[in-house]
Amino acid sequence: MELSPISVDFASLNLGALTPMVIAIVGALFIIIIDLIKSNLSKSFYTMLSIIFVVVDLAAVLGYSGADRAFFDVMLVDGLAIISQVIILVASIVLIPLSLTSGRFHEYRYPEFFALFLFMIAGFQFMVSTDNLILIFVGLETASLALYAMIAMHNRERSFEAAIKYFTMGAMAAGLFAFGSLILYVLSGSVELSQIAEKLIERDFQPLPLVMIATAFMLASFGFKLSLMPFHTWTPDVYEGSSAALAGYMAVVPKIAGFVVSMRLFEFYVTSGITWIQDILYVLVIVTMTGANVMALIQHDVKRMLAFSSISHAGFVMAAILIGTTQANSALFLYWVMFMFTNIGAFSMLWISRHKSKKWHARFDHPYEKFAGMIKVMPIPASIMGLFMIALAGVPPFSVFWGKMYMLSAVVNSGFIILALIMALNSAIAAYYYLKLVVYMFFHEPSENDGTQYMKNTSLQLQTILAITAFFTLFSFTFIDSISITITQLVQASGY
Amino acid sequence: MEHILSILIFFPMFAAILGFMVDKDSIRSYGLTITFIEFVLSLWLWLSFDGTNPSMQFMESLSLFSSYGINYSVGVDGISLFLVVLSTFMTFIALLGLGSTHHVKNMIISILILEMTMVGVFLVLDAIVFYLFWELSLVPMLYIIGGWGAGRRIYAAIKFFLYTFTGSLIMLIGMLFLANIYYETTGVWSFSILDWHQLQIMNLDMQNWLFLAFFLGFAIKVPMFPFHTWLPYAHGQAPTIGSVILAAVLLKMGTYGFIRFSLPLFPDAAVVFLTPIAILSLIMIVYTAMIAYAQEDMKQVIAYSSVSHMGVIILGTFALNVEGISGSIFLMISHGIVSGALFMLVGMIYERRHTKLISEFGGLAKVMPNYAVVFGVMLMASVGLPLTIGFVGEFLSLLGFYRVSPAMTVIAGSTIILGAVYMLTLYKKSFFGVITNPANESLKDMNSQEKIALFPLIAIVIWLGVYPKPILSPIDSSVKELVSFMEKKAVTHETKEFLRSVNTIGGEK
Repeated sequence: MELSPISVDFASLNLGALTPMVIAIVGALFIIIIDLIKSNLSKSFYTMLSIIFVVVDLAAVLGYSGADRAFFDVMLVDGLAIISQVIILVASIVLIPLSLTSGRFHEYRYPEFFALFLFMIAGFQFMVSTDNLILIFVGLETASLALYAMIAMHNRERSFEAAIKYFTMGAMAAGLFAFGSLILYVLSGSVELSQIAEKLIERDFQPLPLVMIATAFMLASFGFKLSLMPFHTWTPDVYEGSSAALAGYMAVVPKIAGFVVSMRLFEFYVTSGITWIQDILYVLVIVTMTGANVMALIQHDVKRMLAFSSISHAGFVMAAILIGTTQANSALFLYWVMFMFTNIGAFSMLWISRHKSKKWHARFDHPYEKFAGMIKVMPIPASIMGLFMIALAGVPPFSVFWGKMYMLSAVVNSGFIILALIMALNSAIAAYYYLKLVVYMFFHEPSENDGTQYMKNTSLQLQTILAITAFFTLFSFTFIDSISITITQLVQASGY
Repeated sequence: MEHILSILIFFPMFAAILGFMVDKDSIRSYGLTITFIEFVLSLWLWLSFDGTNPSMQFMESLSLFSSYGINYSVGVDGISLFLVVLSTFMTFIALLGLGSTHHVKNMIISILILEMTMVGVFLVLDAIVFYLFWELSLVPMLYIIGGWGAGRRIYAAIKFFLYTFTGSLIMLIGMLFLANIYYETTGVWSFSILDWHQLQIMNLDMQNWLFLAFFLGFAIKVPMFPFHTWLPYAHGQAPTIGSVILAAVLLKMGTYGFIRFSLPLFPDAAVVFLTPIAILSLIMIVYTAMIAYAQEDMKQVIAYSSVSHMGVIILGTFALNVEGISGSIFLMISHGIVSGALFMLVGMIYERRHTKLISEFGGLAKVMPNYAVVFGVMLMASVGLPLTIGFVGEFLSLLGFYRVSPAMTVIAGSTIILGAVYMLTLYKKSFFGVITNPANESLKDMNSQEKIALFPLIAIVIWLGVYPKPILSPIDSSVKELVSFMEKKAVTHETKEFLRSVNTIGGEK
């Protein structure tokens, strides 16, 4: 048999769709090259350079108006891809300047950190703007490998532990993903989710055992990536080991990428009425929410508490994938936009109070006792931290409330009243551990200090970031309308 | 006059933000000035309010979440008007009576934010924005109890927050569900209470479930038996100003919720649940009165008496006739003033002696005659002596419920007797007899600041006790509208029949 020559029309490749990722990759290479030419440049230089690349990247995403499909139909730039890329990039813009601390930290001395950061962004961008299992895999691994290295660069004993743990679990998740994809390929003869969906629906999800095994592999893989219970065990340790800034980032960005892929992957099961996947997701959502909340209750360290709480938040929005209506999927993104600002703000507060020495606890950096009586010595930072906690608990009219309300409404509207009640009760449980920090900050007597340790690591740049996140948390009610309209339009346009 | 309601809501908030810039030494005067202006604004609202018009007045609307039908919309009618005036008045009086305290600036800013949420709850006509103010009111109160309370203040504060928060989340689910029903019926998303009023929920099971969801949120706030356990703790540990505002206004949010949401939205369910709720109210009235009698702490006596009186308010509300509902609204006002005054009085003696135990006192009337007189007047009003403010509301509530069930009303009537028992015992033990405790011999009588704070309360107690009409007639006209609306809206024939039968006092209808 003779292969016919492949002729590809250059225009049909739609290379425009690749521009955002290319910008991030070029930025990363640029940073490495600059380091080769002139070493010992200040971290502020690399920080600003990275921000510039990310902003240009964002502009490219927002400006893209080409076709959905691009690059041999491997890329899929639909509404989901655009929203999630915007979330990823905005979170990155907020995160990168957190390197400009007054304290000196190991990882920021290396330009490679910033290069890895940009590679990671590119990886996540690929992951969300495709429905090709292979490209998802490539994007996921690019991003994850960069992230492992960045965690380890924090250069403390616990960071190595965290990186190794994350790497091991990540490798396992990758393996599960590969197996799952393999079986899906066997069943459908394609690695593109839209075609897989078509084939599976055509053959009515038969043979059932094989479909179930493939789904189980995929669920477990994303369970690890989204740290759903019972696949969550790595999360608190990894967050504890990495710097607070990076932990806040990990609680937001990798998850939104994971949500988008799960949405693409599981939505057609739900819409074609496969009840067993709904049952599995139902259990997963409830176990993740409740389990993580209970675990968060008994933590002694604020960072670990926030780690468990972010698992619980992830469980909460996973309900959207179980329901699969347009409103639910929009609610997921709305929730995550709102959660992003508040959560990054909360982790930034921990980051600016970061101490080299462990003054309060032999193991933890941020035990509750550290914040005792903070309102009396440092009223404004304490009020801001209190605001973030109250907002995370879902007290209106602050950011997370709107996401929570819209999500609950989506759940109620699709008739899952019991689920909505469980979610509501979980919010009440969550309020307790957020209040615990508020109680320490506002009601306890300060322990021998002049307050400076809360701002040990601060700088003007960090305060600006905090002001921005606090502003968005406080005044979210002013732009909730426009954000939700945009998100709903984009989600609807991509058919979810 | 255009935006009077929005000004009323956001003026304290705005002042609170600016308050951060005010110097610590002047913050008390600042707080007093702001709350006084706010009170005058609410009086202005009362003056310009048309008492003969039963529907919403001074309405404003602003889109907040348009794609999902959430609007900031406000309006006032006879039901909410006096609760707003009560809130602004009691906040002002409570600040006036505020003794010396630490971190007074944080305290006053919290009070101002709390005032915004209270006024907001009573004026807002959108369910989600209502929920927003409702929940937001927890935060400053949490801080006030936790930051300035006594003993187990943290436990009390957290218990208060979590209890109410849980109940309101269930209520939120109810609201979202109701909005969904509205959407399915009309094809439009709306959270406007006035829009919801037009919605007839034909499915009675659904109406019952929704009623229960709302009920849980409101009942915990009131607090109704068996959800009342957070209240004695909160009162016991809270500072005086916290107790005053909690008893005078925050509890009224729950009973207001029943009248604003539960009755007009779910008339059939209200009739279905009438008997269980009445039984719960009776338990509240009798059981907590007994507990009040057994207390050794003055403040706990008044805290439990609050629960007991809230039972009468609920009973009046669920009489479902004009007399009962008007009476219960009037009782909300009077209970706000009287219990606020009593908590302030206990706070005064606590400031002098740093104890609230009844056994520590005795013969106080000899050393503090003025104090004893004021306490006596408030006590009589609390018991419901005729010609005091407490009598009017209690009488009307019970009269209203008599149409529903004479037997239950007889039991509920014991509130007056039981109230007299525990209050007079308290009074006898602390004020009469000889001074047994030498620490009490040199106690100073009320100072001028305390007199200024309490004098207006006494004047109101007697004025409205003798001549309640200025308040009662606007309430009456709005309540008449509400009751006839309920009858029109009721789905089943039995409900209509029932509403008609309970609304026949004096052969009016």
